Parts: sequence; C-alpha cells; structure tokens
Amino acid sequence: MGFAAGWYALALGDGLEPGTSAGTQLFDKELVVWRDASGASHVWEDRCPHRGMRLSFGFVRGNHIACLYHGWQYDEAGQCRHIPAHPTLEVPETIKVPTYASVEAAGMIWVRWDGEAAGQPPADIAAVPVRSLYLDREPETVAQLLAAGRAGSFETLSPGSFATALEGADLFLALQPYAAERTALHIARTGGDLPLKDIAMWAEELRASLEALPAAGLAPAARQAGAAA
Amino acid sequence: MLRSNVQGSTLNPPVTMVFTGHFRPESFAEFVRHRAARLSLAMRLGTVNDNRVEVAVEGAADLVDMFEMACSLGPIDCLVLDIHRNAERQ
Repeated sequence: MGFAAGWYALALGDGLEPGTSAGTQLFDKELVVWRDASGASHVWEDRCPHRGMRLSFGFVRGNHIACLYHGWQYDEAGQCRHIPAHPTLEVPETIKVPTYASVEAAGMIWVRWDGEAAGQPPADIAAVPVRSLYLDREPETVAQLLAAGRAGSFETLSPGSFATALEGADLFLALQPYAAERTALHIARTGGDLPLKDIAMWAEELRASLEALPAAGLAPAARQAGAAA
Repeated sequence: MLRSNVQGSTLNPPVTMVFTGHFRPESFAEFVRHRAARLSLAMRLGTVNDNRVEVAVEGAADLVDMFEMACSLGPIDCLVLDIHRNAERQ
C-alpha cells in the first residue's frame, strides 16, 4: 500500500454509542473500535487471545469488553481481568489484547498507525459527523482521484485528508485504507448549515464517481508520508 | 529449574505432558512455546519427534489445564491423538 505511518480515521464518533463495539479494518488488519460506559473510545486488535474470536462480536460491560465466545473480559488497557470458567484465577499479565493509541478529533475516531513515526494526532477542529462511505477501490487510487480533482474540487490537506466546499457547507474528508482494494471515506461538516441529508446524498454521488472514474493518467502509487495533517 | 512469572497464584509441582500423534516437530514446538508464554507458564521441552512431544510445565493449576486444552488442538499441521500427564494436580 502507498500510505505510511500516520493517524487514520476509522469511524465517525457519533456512530459508536457508549457500550457498543464495531469491527473495521486498516491495511487489511482487523480492528475493533469500542466505546466504554464512561464514553472513552478504544481501538484494539479484533481478536480474543483465547480462541481468536473477534472482540467486535463481544459485549461491552461497563469499562470492560467481553468476548462472545467464552466471556473473557478485558479492561481499558487490553488486560484480561476475568475468566468466567476460572473465577478465582489471578489472570496473568501475558493474557492481553494488542491495543493502539487512538483519539477523537474532527468528529471522528482516529488510530495511530506505525507507532511514534505517525507524528502528532490530527487537530480537533469543530466538525459535525455526516456519514462514512465504503468504496470498492484501492486507497491510493481514491486519494489520487481526489487530489487530481477528478471527482470535484478538493484541497489536499494531507495524503489522507481532504477539504471541499459545497453550496452551504464546508466538508472535511478522511480516508481510511481499509484493505488493498477497499477504501473508507469519513465525512464531517466543518462549516455552513446545509442539511446533513443533503450532504449524504452528495456523498453517495461521490462514491459512485470514485468507483467509476478511470485511473488512466494518475501517477503510479508513491509512498505517501502521514495520513492526517 | 522451571520458574513461573505468575505472582500470587497457587503453584503446583511441574507437570510433564506427553503428547502423542502426528507432528511436524518444529511447528508443534513453536505452538507450545507460544501458548506457554501466553499463559505465563514455565516450560521446558523434552523429546520432540514426529510422533511424540514431551513438555514440562509449571504454573497455576488452572493455567496448566488451559495449556493442555490449547495444545490438544495444536497447530493445523499436527494431530494430537492422546495426552498423558506423569504428575497429577495436588
């Protein structure tokens, strides 16, 4: 893939209620995004260390997430704290889910990819989440189509984030390299008062364009540094 | 000497498990090492060949039981037919 270390949006913040979880992918890696009862969001590897079940199928219990399969519970740091079949067992620290640093900014949940090389997290600009689009197209191609103005006029803020203006709305778009041939675009309104349903309809048209536009003439995918400004 | 890094758990004497079946030795050995590390068990491999793997483990009894269950499944390229323990839980 042509993207490097950076912060990537994985979901709209208001799409994840406290006490719920959702599965997603970044560079084909399966991740769970979940929000605990106190409202804090978390991004982890989507795999229970016990039997490999996706934690996104599990249940949030207070500030723990429990695996659907055998009920192993993990705290906010990913540490297993309770095994129902062995309720008195002091669970060893080695039973832990790999976690990723994450923040909420611009109405979206972002994950830090590739550790310290990712740089600073995205700025928390005021934004109203609108919707997420999932496209059957390579992330590099989608980014280049946007940057080249093939699907409308977009300002490239970083290799993975863009801005555009509609009549009555300023928009911020964050690209999620979901998989080799699948891309998510998360859209938030940063200005104006155009109704969200109108922006959502525009977004549907944008998705159709981005999936249909020819890639001819685009530069070969080059490694791009940093996803978010 | 085997040493477990589990703090405050009830430890039992080392248990030697003998797995018999059909193994790719290096695959099963790596599987055993990974599962023992995940469960914070001290582990020492003994005989490892195509039909027999001997493993000595030490740690909390419940975790030793979990280790046995995990290894009974084994990696996809190995088939465990039988497991025998030479020391039972106290």
